[in-house]
Amino acid sequence: MKFILMMGMKTDKESMSKGIMTWPKEDIQAHIGFMIGLNKELKEAGELVSAEGLAFPDEAKMVRAGKDGLPITDGIFPESKEFLIGYWIIDVESPERAYQVAARASAAPGPGGAPLNMPIEVRQVMSGPPEELQ
Amino acid sequence: MKYILMMNATKEVFEWFSKWPKEDLQKNFAFMRNFSKELKDEGVFVATEGLAWPDQAVIVRAGSDGTPITDGVFPESKEFLAGYWIVDVEGPEAAYAIAARASAAPAPAGTEGTMPLEVRQIMSGPPDEFA
Repeated sequence: MKFILMMGMKTDKESMSKGIMTWPKEDIQAHIGFMIGLNKELKEAGELVSAEGLAFPDEAKMVRAGKDGLPITDGIFPESKEFLIGYWIIDVESPERAYQVAARASAAPGPGGAPLNMPIEVRQVMSGPPEELQ
Repeated sequence: MKYILMMNATKEVFEWFSKWPKEDLQKNFAFMRNFSKELKDEGVFVATEGLAWPDQAVIVRAGSDGTPITDGVFPESKEFLAGYWIVDVEGPEAAYAIAARASAAPAPAGTEGTMPLEVRQIMSGPPDEFA
């Protein structure tokens, strides 16, 4: 079963005042080092399908098709919006295993090396639409 | 440059989608399949995935002993990722043009507006100074 593990971030003032870019450089390096190690372990266990990090939310654009099909872009988002900042897709035996891996990622080190215990959203990845609708 | 094109929606929108007539759903899925095929033919396709519905979403945090603590309660305003495409193109304008094509996916007659897609670049790795 494939699961996606998603890390989100908010861009309100309070969240930004604690964001990773405000951490001391060695804490950022420790955090990134942890993530690189986790990816390597998942790869060696044959569980890693893919992992990606996204550009920061200030680069996010909302795109819709206009009447002529041309893109209409907008860069203004509600303050409550949670932006996806990165994800893993893993292929594991059960949801419980996916939750275990998510808990590992959740405990990634933050400022001073303390575990962040950040929330990770976990959901199954579908192989395709239901057969009756194909 | 790699870009991710994300379809995000609140639970309310997912519920509306689940009530579409069968033929409208079939048209939409056929459009999506064909769209992915076009992206492959154009040589810009990297990946696409569809996620399980939000009622299956779980938030996981590590407890103090490192074991997972799960929670399935979300604020009503929360937008859930429904699915995404990753494309590899020359620049943001090309990514926005592709997003506009997905945005015009067919919906039931009388649906107002087109589907919004969030577009952002995918990073190849952390900045050199932190790696």
